[in-house]
Amino acid sequence: MLSPKTSPLGKLLDQYIRVRITRNDDSDIALFERDWNNTLYYFVMNADEQIYLRYGGRDARGPLTYLDFDSLELALKQGLELHKHYQNGELKKTDRPQPFFPRDIPPLVERTFAKGQCVECHLIGDFQLIDKEQKGTLDKIRDMYRWPDIRNIGIEVDIPRGLVVKEAKGPAQSAGMKPGDRITALNGTPVYTWADIQYRFDKVPRDAKQLGLTADREGRPVSVAMALPERWWLTDLRFRQLSVDPRSEFECRPLTAEEKQKYNVKPASFAGEITRIGGFAQMMKIHDLKTGDIVTAVDGVDTDEIANTPELYIKLRKHAGDTVTLDIIRDGKPMKMPVNTQRMFFRK
Amino acid sequence: MQLRKFAVCLLFLFIPVLAQDDTLEWLGDYKQALEQARQTKKPIFLEFRCEP
Repeated sequence: MLSPKTSPLGKLLDQYIRVRITRNDDSDIALFERDWNNTLYYFVMNADEQIYLRYGGRDARGPLTYLDFDSLELALKQGLELHKHYQNGELKKTDRPQPFFPRDIPPLVERTFAKGQCVECHLIGDFQLIDKEQKGTLDKIRDMYRWPDIRNIGIEVDIPRGLVVKEAKGPAQSAGMKPGDRITALNGTPVYTWADIQYRFDKVPRDAKQLGLTADREGRPVSVAMALPERWWLTDLRFRQLSVDPRSEFECRPLTAEEKQKYNVKPASFAGEITRIGGFAQMMKIHDLKTGDIVTAVDGVDTDEIANTPELYIKLRKHAGDTVTLDIIRDGKPMKMPVNTQRMFFRK
Repeated sequence: MQLRKFAVCLLFLFIPVLAQDDTLEWLGDYKQALEQARQTKKPIFLEFRCEP
């Protein structure tokens, strides 16, 4: 599939046992946990089911954002190296997680196995959320905002070169990360690929204040302790079309301190200006908001310990399908505006 | 009859050539992959591909 045997990639792949899984029915989803919205995802591992590294990754920009032949070649070389270390007893054995299968998620069984339908990857993530929502154990910050991107902490990698930093901004720059650094560990755990770092970044407790990164800088190891910014875990949910988040079909930006003063709202308010109206807003009769509207409160609430915009407040504190009332200012006049949030329905 | 035998011989001669495919083989069974990895001492490259 990927390459002829005689090509550089083919020669590397030929040193592996290659297996392709297209049905998840019997997959151990604890061992092979990943962002379930990936269409393609790879694990480099051994016969003892020890995972050496992961390869893959996507974001709202598209399913191929982090897939690239050069970085795949690096990952395959690294995998062979790690396998040698494992065989020589130089690599510590990792604990295998408790097995967990798609059949262990009741609403997923109802939706797929019971109907003889395929357990599509994204359905695993979707129904894990739905299961938690039904059981009342859903923690939206932990469960809904999965798989944050290290761009949230100011790190842009040079994708073909694996984990080589292309640009360090904001918290990463303040912590001392520099372009050219090759990230080698996150909170002390080795990482070899973008998928590895995303996997480990997702494991960081959402209330963590600091992150430790180790990098190779011109052959020397450097470690930095980075202050995590507020809402470092935030991700774009738009491509997760079957998520449990309430869809409000508007986007907004937080007001500046000066704007808050101008509109006479509290400095700590999550008030925001509408910057985009979703395409389904009118069709689904969700609301009559307009870009430029200033939203000052949701159901009379204007502050939240986490949310910095009305949009995020709704996603975190309301259920999909709830109707909420916004206090807005349009053309200088205060108004009330109902918003009928939607639950994204399943496409099949 | 002789022509037929020749054709069959030719076919047998070509079978190994035809079998020299330039593409890499992929298994479709995870347990089989573990077994082969055990026997060959090779690592495993596991692809999850969503084919809705």
